[in-house]
Amino acid sequence: MGALLEINQLNIAFRQGKKLCPVASGVSFSVQPGEILCVVGESGSGKSITALSVLGLLSRQGKVTGGEILFDGRNLLSLSEEEMDRIRGVDIAMIFQDIMYSLNPVFTIGRQMTEGMRRHRGLSKEAAEKEAVTLLERTGIRDAKQVMKKYPHMLSGGMRQRVMIAMALACKPKLLIADEPTTALDVTIQYQIMELLRSLRDETGMAILLITHDIGVVAEMADRVVVMYAGQCVEEAPLRELLTHPAHAYTKALMQAVPGLHDDRSRRLYSIPGYVPQEYGEMTGCRFAPRCPYGAECPEKREEGMREIAPGHLSRCAYKGGVKDE
Amino acid sequence: MSEKNASPVLETRHVWKDYHIAGENSLFAKTFHAVEDVSLTVKKGETFGIVGESGCGKSTMARLLMCLELPDDGEIYFQGQRIDRLPEHARRKLRPRFQMVFQDSGSSLNPRKRVQDILSEPMLYHKIGNGKQIDRRVEELLSMVGLPVEMKGRYPHEFSGGQRQRICIARALSLNPDVVVLDEPVSALDVSVQAQILNLLRELQERLGLTYVFIGHGLGAVHYISHRIAVMYMGRVVEVGTSDELFDHPAHPYTKALLDAAPAADADARFRPRTALKGEIDEHPIAGACPLYHRCPNAGKGCLSFSGEIEEIAPGHFTVCRKAWEE
Repeated sequence: MGALLEINQLNIAFRQGKKLCPVASGVSFSVQPGEILCVVGESGSGKSITALSVLGLLSRQGKVTGGEILFDGRNLLSLSEEEMDRIRGVDIAMIFQDIMYSLNPVFTIGRQMTEGMRRHRGLSKEAAEKEAVTLLERTGIRDAKQVMKKYPHMLSGGMRQRVMIAMALACKPKLLIADEPTTALDVTIQYQIMELLRSLRDETGMAILLITHDIGVVAEMADRVVVMYAGQCVEEAPLRELLTHPAHAYTKALMQAVPGLHDDRSRRLYSIPGYVPQEYGEMTGCRFAPRCPYGAECPEKREEGMREIAPGHLSRCAYKGGVKDE
Repeated sequence: MSEKNASPVLETRHVWKDYHIAGENSLFAKTFHAVEDVSLTVKKGETFGIVGESGCGKSTMARLLMCLELPDDGEIYFQGQRIDRLPEHARRKLRPRFQMVFQDSGSSLNPRKRVQDILSEPMLYHKIGNGKQIDRRVEELLSMVGLPVEMKGRYPHEFSGGQRQRICIARALSLNPDVVVLDEPVSALDVSVQAQILNLLRELQERLGLTYVFIGHGLGAVHYISHRIAVMYMGRVVEVGTSDELFDHPAHPYTKALLDAAPAADADARFRPRTALKGEIDEHPIAGACPLYHRCPNAGKGCLSFSGEIEEIAPGHFTVCRKAWEE
């Protein structure tokens, strides 16, 4: 089965004054049909930018400087704005972290829900409204008819995210891109939304590209995981393989730095020294090297690229040849 | 770190705080109980954690402990002295002894001041030390929080989020406080930087004998740093206990649900059995009933009468859940 979405050697740069600052370099990964792929990384890792570029939603300063994004075999980067319009919201839908700003405050939920259906699928007002109610109910909203009449500010954060998900489902997308969909929510609501996304995937068979910074959310949601750091993919593996045999020093560090709920409190928390680099256009070799615990022992700080170290498990780490230890 | 038999440093007794939400006219105006009947004791040298979801009153609690807001009812004591009724000038004299660190390090530092001015301002305001002593203290503070002394001439925007939070901590420590109230100090930071700050806070506590009140919603971080934790829901403390006891043997259904909802970095996490709450926070709870009544998986008839009393179910472990009392 061919990949639904395939990103090949994608380079993105942002204009800063006269020079271009790279924010994603050589990003490659693919999403299979029906799969939940999680892209995990800290701020500045390039994960959101990569997701936005899939839908051609980069702001004016952003520019794709190389690579290709294949969706169902078509290169999205070569499509015209009109052609993109027929894919955006139809075949690929997106939900965002900013639930406050993703809905228009001056229109009712019903009006916003039906807009896409009427525009993309040519439904009548009544038919669109009927379907909107069904969609809202599917996302676990009980009094959907009432919610249709409300304005965004009248809903809680969790409800707003449910509405966003219902809107995203309206045109039966093959791929849902979710950029930190639960980050702004409380944990008990986050859990409800994660459950919802998983069950919707199971029912509809749509693929989900989930962007997150939380390795816990990854463990709950992912089939496969891509770890990004400083604008590059550094590791890619199926979930269980990644959690049990992380290969890249950054992945290991990221997992250890999160205090668990039942950890021994007396031990010192593992922390990664230093900070995420703000600019890495000039950096050569391993971008994690300055913060890497193996930095001194690592024989080759040069750029190695992603190497397959086990079936489906890729790592950029050159330490001990990138082999799995422990 | 003394966890037992230490004297209370901060104490609240039956504290209430209401906010009035203005409506179009008096008919639509509402009163919102942000904090209801909260009694807490923070002991010397400990870290007291407060967890809960947004709107549960934990940040209001932090502001009340600092007397940045005054309670509508109840009493607040600092080292045995009642502080909520003190006139402002008298409270100002006590301020150096309890300080606060906020979540948003970006907006809590003046962007037009250099780090050295930010750090020396509290000392100038309270007229502590001469110029030379202040300069020396600024350098000492910077090295204490792990920032290079050469950075003292820089402005806040030249630092990353983690570094800015270090500056905020340094400022809070500049007057040698006994208590530091930390309101979500690591929530806005990347995980790799969170761990640095948590370790720093612990080191400083051991070195300086500080008492912390640590407000947070990241359960892992609160558990890691706190000796005792209070769980808040809809303005009330629903459960209090030592960190390990509370996380290993939660008694209140809300605490259980909160712990179960927290995603764990474990491949089997999604398959574990969990306590899940129904729906969302109820804005119109039944009068007199347990605030969790609508969402609780094991709510019974008895839960319709809720006294708000908190009972000890194991040594040092308290909860308001009547079902838990019976177990």
